[in-house]
Amino acid sequence: MSEVLRVENLSISFGGLAAVDDLSFSVSDQEIFGLIGPNGAGKTTVFNCITQFYKPDKGSVWFTVDPERLAARRQKADNAEGQINLVGRPVHSIINYGLVRTFQNVEIIGELSLVDNVLIGGHVDFRASMLSQMLRLPRARAEEKAYREKAMEALDFLGIGHLADQLAGGQPYGVRKRLEMARTLMAEPKLIILDEPAAGLNESETDGLAETIREIRRRYECAILLVEHDMGLVMSVCDRICAISFGKFLAMGTPAEIQQDPLVHEAYLGERDDV
Amino acid sequence: MTSTWSAAARRALKNSHVQFLILGAALLLLPVLSANGIIKTSTLSTLGFVLIYAIVAMGLNLLLGYSGLISLGTAGFMGLGAYIAAYVQDNLRLGFWVALLAALVIPTIIGILVGVVSLRVRSIYLAIATLCISEILLKTFEQAEWFTRGTAGKQSTFPVIFGIHTDRRFMFSVIVIALVLIMMLTHNIVHGHLGRALHAMRSSEVAAQAMGVNVLKYKLFAFAMATLYAGLGGALYLFFLRSSYPSSWNLFLSLNVIAMVVVGGLRSIFGTLAGAFVIFAVPELVLKELPVVGDIPGLPYIFSGILIVVVIMFFPQGLKGLADRVRHALTPRPPSVTKDAAVVQEATR
Amino acid sequence: MELLQPLLRSLETGSVYALAALGIILVWRTSLVMHFAQGSMGMFSGTAVAFVLNRTGAPLWLSVLFGALVAVLLGFAVDFAVIRRLKRATAVGKEIVTLGLIMVFLGLAPILFGTDPMLLPKAIPTGDVSLGVANLSYNALLNIMVGIVVAAGLFVVLQKTKVGLAIRATASNESTARLMGIPTKTVTLLAWAMAGVLGMLAAVMIAPTTTVTPTFMNTVQVSALFACVLGGFQTFYGPVLGAYLIAVASNFLKLYGSSVWGDQILYLLILVFLLVRPNGLVGKTYLKKV
Repeated sequence: MSEVLRVENLSISFGGLAAVDDLSFSVSDQEIFGLIGPNGAGKTTVFNCITQFYKPDKGSVWFTVDPERLAARRQKADNAEGQINLVGRPVHSIINYGLVRTFQNVEIIGELSLVDNVLIGGHVDFRASMLSQMLRLPRARAEEKAYREKAMEALDFLGIGHLADQLAGGQPYGVRKRLEMARTLMAEPKLIILDEPAAGLNESETDGLAETIREIRRRYECAILLVEHDMGLVMSVCDRICAISFGKFLAMGTPAEIQQDPLVHEAYLGERDDV
Repeated sequence: MTSTWSAAARRALKNSHVQFLILGAALLLLPVLSANGIIKTSTLSTLGFVLIYAIVAMGLNLLLGYSGLISLGTAGFMGLGAYIAAYVQDNLRLGFWVALLAALVIPTIIGILVGVVSLRVRSIYLAIATLCISEILLKTFEQAEWFTRGTAGKQSTFPVIFGIHTDRRFMFSVIVIALVLIMMLTHNIVHGHLGRALHAMRSSEVAAQAMGVNVLKYKLFAFAMATLYAGLGGALYLFFLRSSYPSSWNLFLSLNVIAMVVVGGLRSIFGTLAGAFVIFAVPELVLKELPVVGDIPGLPYIFSGILIVVVIMFFPQGLKGLADRVRHALTPRPPSVTKDAAVVQEATR
Repeated sequence: MELLQPLLRSLETGSVYALAALGIILVWRTSLVMHFAQGSMGMFSGTAVAFVLNRTGAPLWLSVLFGALVAVLLGFAVDFAVIRRLKRATAVGKEIVTLGLIMVFLGLAPILFGTDPMLLPKAIPTGDVSLGVANLSYNALLNIMVGIVVAAGLFVVLQKTKVGLAIRATASNESTARLMGIPTKTVTLLAWAMAGVLGMLAAVMIAPTTTVTPTFMNTVQVSALFACVLGGFQTFYGPVLGAYLIAVASNFLKLYGSSVWGDQILYLLILVFLLVRPNGLVGKTYLKKV
């Protein structure tokens, strides 16, 4: 299976302290890949380095982009495998390549309706000029209508379509988390990065989440990279797992292999909640 | 037949653009009332300025309400619009339309330059940079006599529009038309793709970036629109009053415009109009008429200042939030969380 | 050696800007509020000094003492009645509140102290020190000394005392500081009072060069804000450095560039400087937490 993301020798340090140290791993196409590690292992930092919120000190982040998508943006691949290196690119350009993420502390817009929140996910696909949007020319209106339908599909898919016109601000946590996921689906993603999708959910919601993650992969044919503390979820949903500790690579393998790995056990000692 | 008609009418009334047009039609009655002596000419003038400030404040609302950015340059850009309009119309004699266009374009370009420099680092730098630009513009208004006639003040005339020699009442109608157009434009901006991007940016800059919103571009867009509206307001001010003095364009006008936005309610078009009325017309029409209190110097400042503080502290949604709450209390609704109820929740949280 | 004279004069205005800027940075670090009302609060207590001096004939030192009392009470009142009740407001909301306060003080000053412009005499009316080619009045020397001593004293307090530690802890992370038992509310209260006194001192120092009107602190406010921008918002000494640099640059620009446009050219230069060093002279790059 071809790879969609390859992280190579990634390193970043804050004030002399290495948060991520020479980390390499790769995610295959349509794979559900878990990144685990004890608290403070640098998991979210890895995400932030991939999505360019942080600029890594060293290393590269190779991302496979569809040739059509590149052609549409009039760009060329950075290497012979048709990949581009995300490092150094502006944060807001990353979604263009089909890489989209959620946040640990659910970043949605409380003052907008659910469907408008999802529409933000399609931001980069809007083609109508600023002027035609300001004057509501037919083209802008047609575009808005088409994307609104697409957004409704995403909301329905995640089972919150009936709330579409309500404001996001007053919704319970579970709905907000689903909303954030629905938003990632607008961008026709190749890879979705989920930062602790189960945090704050109750047991039955977490069970539903595993099914949702598999459904997303099936329906949208994309890979999913997730950081998660809920080991039950990680072990049940992931194809492969990479374990890190203090920013360093620890082990990589299937859930069964990871569960057997002595290094992983050692790293988690004292964190009884997680193992 | 009548029931379908009334249903259609009710649907039309819910359309914001129709509401703006109705408001405009109602406002166009005022010059007629004034011509018949039913309202005083001075009252008409005050209301004209309210509408001009409302236009300017709507621009600032795009910036402050939707993007969460502060500009202290409103007065400077408005003054620039006024002087450019006067210069192009009276010195260059290029007519109303060219004057209007110049008063829109030049401040906007300067605004974009200021934004490009100051918005890169931290949003608050825009406030400081615009404060500085405002000081520079004010000094220009005082010093560049060829352009502004300095502290003596620039005198102008009512413009000739489509061959018609206008007067104060006619200009009031022009202001009303400009206001309605601006309300429609603002509504289109905030209720579409652009508005969503601004919302996203204010609510969470990181999430907006992850969704592909070029934050700098949209901050610049909001600031450019705020400057454009200020330029328009300045030009209308000049054509309505026919004069401009440097002292009119000081920091306190900028602060007053902020007060209009805050008091009216962030992110509300009708609220901003109401805010402009409260901040400008109430001191002018009501406070000045009061015995004893009316003679106190600096009273309008205290009025605006205290309103700003009180509204931010206790009524963050301003007049618009109050209106929503009243409407919510008056209309019976099913118990589910409706849009309005959620607004109230947000406001009271 | 003709450079010495304007340089000395710059040190005097630099001290004024430095004190005002220190107030802004103290409030910024402890309350995370951009204190746009620093100048107008200084104007208010400075006008109180002039009022007492002109009306009662009290000596300057006593009037300044009274002004300090006004400034402290004002700082307490603003923090206690407004700022600390804004915990839930957005950063922009807090900024807007300080803008609203400008208008309140601007309106209050003429009501309480009258509309006639007042004069405030120099602390030392006459006398010059001769430094070779350059002359420096005793009063200018005093102002320079006050600026340097107050700024240095503040740094000593910040670095060496328990109060200073509490302020620095609050500045670096308010919630952590609170968890560690530091009374952060008292710290911000103190910061606002100190900012008030610093603003009052700046006002009293600059007043003799102009007349005491509601707008006489405008230049100081703008310069102090720019001192913070130039010096960076992350340290306490950055803005002080920025203040002296601004004063020197302004004086030389006025002397050798344009006497009318000196300050304005300078502000533009600082804005351009931001393109090169976005976080100011001694600012560290700061990382947004995601």
